[in-house]
Amino acid sequence: MSASVEKPHGLTDPERAAKILAAIPDHDLDTQRKMNYFLKPRGKRLSEYEILTVYSQPTPDWIAGGLDWGDWTQKFHGGRPSWGNELTELKSSDWHHHRDPGRRWHGPYVKDKSEDWRYTTRLLESFSADGGIRTLDPTWRDEILDKYYGALLYNEYALFNAHSSVLRDCLSDTIRLTAGFAALDKVDNAQMIQLQRSFIAKLVPGLDDSTHAPKQTWLTDPVYNGARTLVQEAWQGIQDFSEILWAVHNVYDPLFGVFARREFFQRIAPHFGDSLTPFFTAQAQTYFQVTRTAISDLFFESLANDHQFGDFNRTYLRAWTGKWLDGTIAALKDFVGLYAKIPPIAGVTDKEAVTEAVSRVISDWVADYADKIDYKVNQQNLVAAVISGLK
Amino acid sequence: MPISAATKAATDAHALHRAPASVSPQEVHKWMQSFNWEFSKNKTKYPTKYHMANDTKEQFKLIAKEYARMESAKDERQFGTLLDGMTRLGAGNRMHPKWGETMKVASNFLEVGEYNAIAASAMLWDSATAAEQKNGYLAQVMDEIRHTNQCAFVNHYYSKHYHDPAGHNDARRTRAIGPLWKGMKRVFADGFISGDAVECSINLQLVGEACFTNPLIVAITEWASANGDEITPTVFLSIETDELRHMANGYQTVVSIANDPAAQKYLNTDLNNAFWTQQKYFTPVLGMLFEYGSKFKVEPWVKTWNRWVYEDWGGIWIGRLGKYGVQSPPSLRDAKQDAYWAHHDLALIAYALWPTGFFRLALPDQEEMQWFEANYPGWYDHYGKIYEEWKALGCEDPKSGFIPFQWLLKNGHEVYVDRVSQVPFCPSLSKSAGSLRIHEYNGRKYSFSDDWGERMWLTEPERYECQSIFEQYDGRELSEIIAEGHGLRSDGKTLIGQPHVRGTDLWTLEDVRRAGVVCSDPLKRH
Repeated sequence: MSASVEKPHGLTDPERAAKILAAIPDHDLDTQRKMNYFLKPRGKRLSEYEILTVYSQPTPDWIAGGLDWGDWTQKFHGGRPSWGNELTELKSSDWHHHRDPGRRWHGPYVKDKSEDWRYTTRLLESFSADGGIRTLDPTWRDEILDKYYGALLYNEYALFNAHSSVLRDCLSDTIRLTAGFAALDKVDNAQMIQLQRSFIAKLVPGLDDSTHAPKQTWLTDPVYNGARTLVQEAWQGIQDFSEILWAVHNVYDPLFGVFARREFFQRIAPHFGDSLTPFFTAQAQTYFQVTRTAISDLFFESLANDHQFGDFNRTYLRAWTGKWLDGTIAALKDFVGLYAKIPPIAGVTDKEAVTEAVSRVISDWVADYADKIDYKVNQQNLVAAVISGLK
Repeated sequence: MPISAATKAATDAHALHRAPASVSPQEVHKWMQSFNWEFSKNKTKYPTKYHMANDTKEQFKLIAKEYARMESAKDERQFGTLLDGMTRLGAGNRMHPKWGETMKVASNFLEVGEYNAIAASAMLWDSATAAEQKNGYLAQVMDEIRHTNQCAFVNHYYSKHYHDPAGHNDARRTRAIGPLWKGMKRVFADGFISGDAVECSINLQLVGEACFTNPLIVAITEWASANGDEITPTVFLSIETDELRHMANGYQTVVSIANDPAAQKYLNTDLNNAFWTQQKYFTPVLGMLFEYGSKFKVEPWVKTWNRWVYEDWGGIWIGRLGKYGVQSPPSLRDAKQDAYWAHHDLALIAYALWPTGFFRLALPDQEEMQWFEANYPGWYDHYGKIYEEWKALGCEDPKSGFIPFQWLLKNGHEVYVDRVSQVPFCPSLSKSAGSLRIHEYNGRKYSFSDDWGERMWLTEPERYECQSIFEQYDGRELSEIIAEGHGLRSDGKTLIGQPHVRGTDLWTLEDVRRAGVVCSDPLKRH
């Protein structure tokens, strides 16, 4: 057959199609039409997310919940296994138990983010056409947004990188997807901060969108000293995938991240004629809340409440909380020094208002995280420790 | 609010230019390389003997949201086609049954590769020092999640629409029973994630993706289409649109280590090992799936192999890397011999052990036997006569009590498992490269089938400790193994695996029990 002649295809060549159809039995050979039918669904029936995700990790049965048997067929140099129970201190009766309540697999996840991109672009176009840039206070824009909000890029970028070894090491498919989406959200946050800087630089002649100034701020300014120290440790200082996820998503980001995004930049920006930053911080907070539901299922529903190892795991989670809380409070204490760099706003930047803001974040954290593992904490002491950083 | 000079400039600019403005992904990406910073602990958790350069770039320049937009657009086309057009055409049950069975294996095994590639890409993301390179690996992490879900969707779709959902609906549980699984884990799972990070990259990106995804993901769509399957091309070609990015990542990995003296010392050995590792499984398995798992043939596997593996990859792709000191692997010449015969050897063993499959296998019919002989002269005398003898002994008939594995043992054709690749082989019937060799180590015996794998094991035996299926099943009766591995249909008695693709004469667990096959480890007889 010459190359120019179309090859006969099964369904388009009538003769071949007839042969194919004749070979198909006139009855079904099985009645079970649900993939992964042997899996116990989290809800009333198996979701598409569970069908497409659960048990795609081929772990043997000596890692709890695994369906395979035997050893790994190739190991690291020296004989360390591909995946093993020693990759985390936590224990589980079934590592495949975790479910993202958002039922996110790749398709729905990228659809959501794709929509975010479309409305982000539309907003930028509308903001620029509207001349929204004209009301932006120049000191806020050039001293705070450009340098300090810009420096937050590095915070998000480090937290993104903290997920690389989690995605290599974690022991199940649903955990891997949850961690993967959380990671992409973090680098997205970092990129959106830079995108906002580039956008402003486009609208204000003479402004530079180079990362030099925010990077210097991140590396040298005392405001980010504690944050930088902590995220470096979360990024490359520890190997246990559970501890990394716990430190980032259950201690540091709900406290430092939420305070910086929600209570500082989002709340203060409008006072300086800035309607742009709250859009991006709200987007980042949306990602935070979506991630929170998934991470909470992993740590509280699946690990802290594991019928066999729940108590054991709670002991570790409490110990890790103590370990990472000190650094987080130190990071917040440094960060509140930033209030001294902006003109006072009554009811927003005075000590009483900042104390309220810190209290809001800490009490949210206690309710959403600490209480769930019976971690006892004196909120007033934590608030006082942070507020002591006010200049 | 006071208007400063800079704000006045912005106001003036707006007065002159009132058109909407935005920021392109590339305008953000151009700053990504500066997102990194140095700190004392900033060292990878996955050591490599190579040094990856700090200034390595990536080619695709994606940011997270643009990545999502691009993939979402592809998803809309793909899932729209499947869930609307294909479903209304009834395309989920219009492929030849032989091919419908092949996709139980092909899609699920590819899913495993994609899944492990998530972890592999993440390891490289951790190992890379350049922020752009990390970003490139991140995009691959996300792609591999996409592909995992897509491969699952093929089995999910088949489960809903194909006349024999068994196997499609539980592949993740039943795949571990048979002789093809452990070898698949070596190439598609452990080979990607367990070892020096760059060595894993060479396995995944430089060989797995740049070499074997072409036949596995592209050529397979031709075979699928020829056999009436329009589901697989719809999904697999969408997967392939991402693969170029991964090959580019592999290329950039080599670029990033090119100036490292270690690269000159180790790279070609790692590449040779990676190539042999991947080809040892894929060459026979892909050839078997295409030629024995189809009714209508596209072209002899050896031709596909020569085009994609030998010429495109071994010649052109590796040639492009020549300026970095990369050479075509010396094992390529042995692989070329495997490309001719290895899949016929493996097909014989797979059919002999059909009850352990999560798919139905069929003997070649007369027309197919003529095709095999025409394209592989000598095939009939060596393989065809055996298939005819098995058929005459009633291998398809559940009342016969005959399972071809018994014939192999009775006629002295022992089946061994190569320790390193985990691929089964039968030395007395094999026409492919290699031969049996046995080593004793720490009081245990190990079998090997070729020089390259044997050399890997002699260097690092601790990396290849996994038991073979015959060690695992030693002394156990076959129906017990199948029942324990959930190899039964929803009626609880009929096997998922069958020795034909008809709708009648299905074997039950009782039929297998009656045959009385007991597995044993051939190494015990040495």
